[in-house]
Amino acid sequence: MFRLLETAGFRHVKSAVVPGFRFRQQSTQNSAEAFGVKAVMFTAEKPAAA
Amino acid sequence: MKADDQVSLEAVLKEEIIRMYGEVAENPEAEFHFFHGRDAAERFGYDPAWLDDAPAGAVASFAGVGNPHERARLQPGETVLDLGSGAGLDAIIASRSVGPTGRVIGVDLNPSMCLKAQAHAAATGTTMECHEGRMEEIPLPDGTADVVISNGVINLSFRKRQVVEEIFRVLRPGGRISITDIVSAKQLSQSIVNDPKLWAA
Repeated sequence: MFRLLETAGFRHVKSAVVPGFRFRQQSTQNSAEAFGVKAVMFTAEKPAAA
Repeated sequence: MKADDQVSLEAVLKEEIIRMYGEVAENPEAEFHFFHGRDAAERFGYDPAWLDDAPAGAVASFAGVGNPHERARLQPGETVLDLGSGAGLDAIIASRSVGPTGRVIGVDLNPSMCLKAQAHAAATGTTMECHEGRMEEIPLPDGTADVVISNGVINLSFRKRQVVEEIFRVLRPGGRISITDIVSAKQLSQSIVNDPKLWAA
């Protein structure tokens, strides 16, 4: 996602993991962790000259 | 995957997304494998006052994965696009932030969800317009929005590059995004990709 934003032309792309995100069921959470699944906040700007 | 297979899978996925998130809106007391409703919103730091002010139906149907308002820095008079607006909680909060001189536009795959979101907004004395549409082809002109927010939606698309390009297109120059979403550090297995129920989750 981070790379997709930069490739599209966004600048100042920032990301931060969302604290507190987890799946309700432990089995789903375990599977998610195995795949490195996280909730992430992305912020970015479209250049003024774009 | 062959192109025809992907188109077919996307059609099935669209139906599953409409079904699953429609069920969250219609039956919010049910248990899903993700947290939803007020519990989820408070978990992500939504101001309790925002939730108290919003219609119970909008709060109960909340199915986001974070808090895009935290860094959106919305200002009075701005135009905000909420991509995947669902039952309208984030749009209502955005509408409070941009005030009567601002504009909030929702886009959602499900037309009945658009109607629900607009009714929820009207019940709070705020306004939002909602357009049925796909995030891969946002039904808005170039440069419409000052800010795009989205909460747990882009991960549902098979065509994320196209979604990001569309977000870029509908932002005005100098505009910004504040998006929370699910990402995976590893390539998902084909069995997950081919299962609309898992993908839609």
